[in-house]
Amino acid sequence: MELNAGTGGNGSHKTASERDEVAALESLQFTDEIRRLMSAPGGDNASSFTALLELPAPQAVQLIHSPESAKLIAAPAPAPAPNVDDFRGSFQFPFNCGLIDRAARFSVFAGDGNINGNNKSNSPEPTSYNSSASLQKPVKSEPAETESSQPLVSDPTVENRSIKRKDREKVKGSSKKSKTSVKESSDDAEKLPYVHVRARRGQATDSHSLAERARREKINARMKLLQDLVPGCSKISGTAIVLDEIINHVQSLQRQVEFLSMRLAAVNPRIDFNLDSVFTAESGSLMDSNFSGMVIPMMWPEVQLNGNRQQYPQQLHLDAFQQPVSGREEVCNSYITPENSLLNYDSSGNSA
Amino acid sequence: MRPCDSLKREFLKKWMMGLQSCSSSNKDMSILERKEAIKLSADVAMACARNGATCWSRALIAAGAHSKHGAPREYSNKRIRSKKILKRSCRIRIRRRKRSKCSAQVGRASSISKGLVRQRTRILKSLIPGGESMDEASLVEETLDYITYLRAQVDGMRSLVDASELDR
Repeated sequence: MELNAGTGGNGSHKTASERDEVAALESLQFTDEIRRLMSAPGGDNASSFTALLELPAPQAVQLIHSPESAKLIAAPAPAPAPNVDDFRGSFQFPFNCGLIDRAARFSVFAGDGNINGNNKSNSPEPTSYNSSASLQKPVKSEPAETESSQPLVSDPTVENRSIKRKDREKVKGSSKKSKTSVKESSDDAEKLPYVHVRARRGQATDSHSLAERARREKINARMKLLQDLVPGCSKISGTAIVLDEIINHVQSLQRQVEFLSMRLAAVNPRIDFNLDSVFTAESGSLMDSNFSGMVIPMMWPEVQLNGNRQQYPQQLHLDAFQQPVSGREEVCNSYITPENSLLNYDSSGNSA
Repeated sequence: MRPCDSLKREFLKKWMMGLQSCSSSNKDMSILERKEAIKLSADVAMACARNGATCWSRALIAAGAHSKHGAPREYSNKRIRSKKILKRSCRIRIRRRKRSKCSAQVGRASSISKGLVRQRTRILKSLIPGGESMDEASLVEETLDYITYLRAQVDGMRSLVDASELDR
């Protein structure tokens, strides 16, 4: 079919194969309908015609477009041939004006050059259809069957416009903006190959602000990833607070690393490790190591933190559930705060 | 998101190698030096695991390479001086902008929040190695990476501590 051939080459969201299938289905429907109509009593022309009108659009359109239709409208007498192929040639159109009306509406999607005669009578309609229909709000007066098939029928150029519109970055289009912007953007889309962005309501559309907005969106997307990564940030909305949490997290992790490295240095005066033992320990549950259960004071040989050592067990119990100190100003490697942060990390890590 | 096991294993392997190579040379280090050596080797090992794909890893490796030699001292001094000049000029610029703007918008929430965000990005830049010379988008990416790296490091070190304690 000429329509499908036209739409086949576009990267639309509906593949050509899908469209072909549905078109085939519709042709099947059409033939079934015709057979049913044929078997119906002959004097039922009016009702059968309306039944035919309820068929999906491509068939109705094709009826109109077919070269035989011209002689059909002229020829009054239907031939009683039961053959389906002849059926199209021999069908009579009692309601010419109604059909032409519908045809004109479909012709908006069906192509510009096909029914020029019908277009003239309905020229104010297509513009409004172009703006308001937008292929997502199909024509309301049509019955339900045609609605589903309308996006398939639609014309290559309109498909192009719709595709390009969808491919473009859609920020947030209010309906008011969409009407005016659709037309200009569709015109531009056919002339120039660049990306068109729909502007938000009341915002400028020059290149600088657009680039700025694209940059902003990129940053915001990455911030969302960070929010998922850092525990306890998913519920917060607001960049500054999220950044605060991230900074806290990074600082606590860094302090943990320092603390652990210090511990390692103290524990093993000779830094030679048994690789096998390490790997077996690692393959066990790493996350569930209960840090507070470890006996720390035994490990430490004469260390300059002798004074702190006595306070360690008490510190562990007392400060176990305090919030980590957000000491952005403090630079010292005090061992009390890493202890707190480490325990908190444990609890948060186990719960997360 | 937990760091994946393969990453941790790789990190541990490299770290073992680094530690063994550096322990063989010096036996009488003080505790702090030892700690620094451990931390450094861990950093470099992890950074190598990334194969220099991220900015912070490259900065870490560079810092690690420099800390051993005394020669790049002058270079680092120059860098420090130029950074100070840059910071001073930035501060002056910000002050000028504030004076011109402060008459118009004093109590607006958006400006306050923007200032907070800017301040915090500055802090974040100081935290992440090599973060000074990055724009915001890449900075956020680097933090993502860096956080996963830190977590893997913490887990690895903790497992090492467990292993060493099991022996005792």
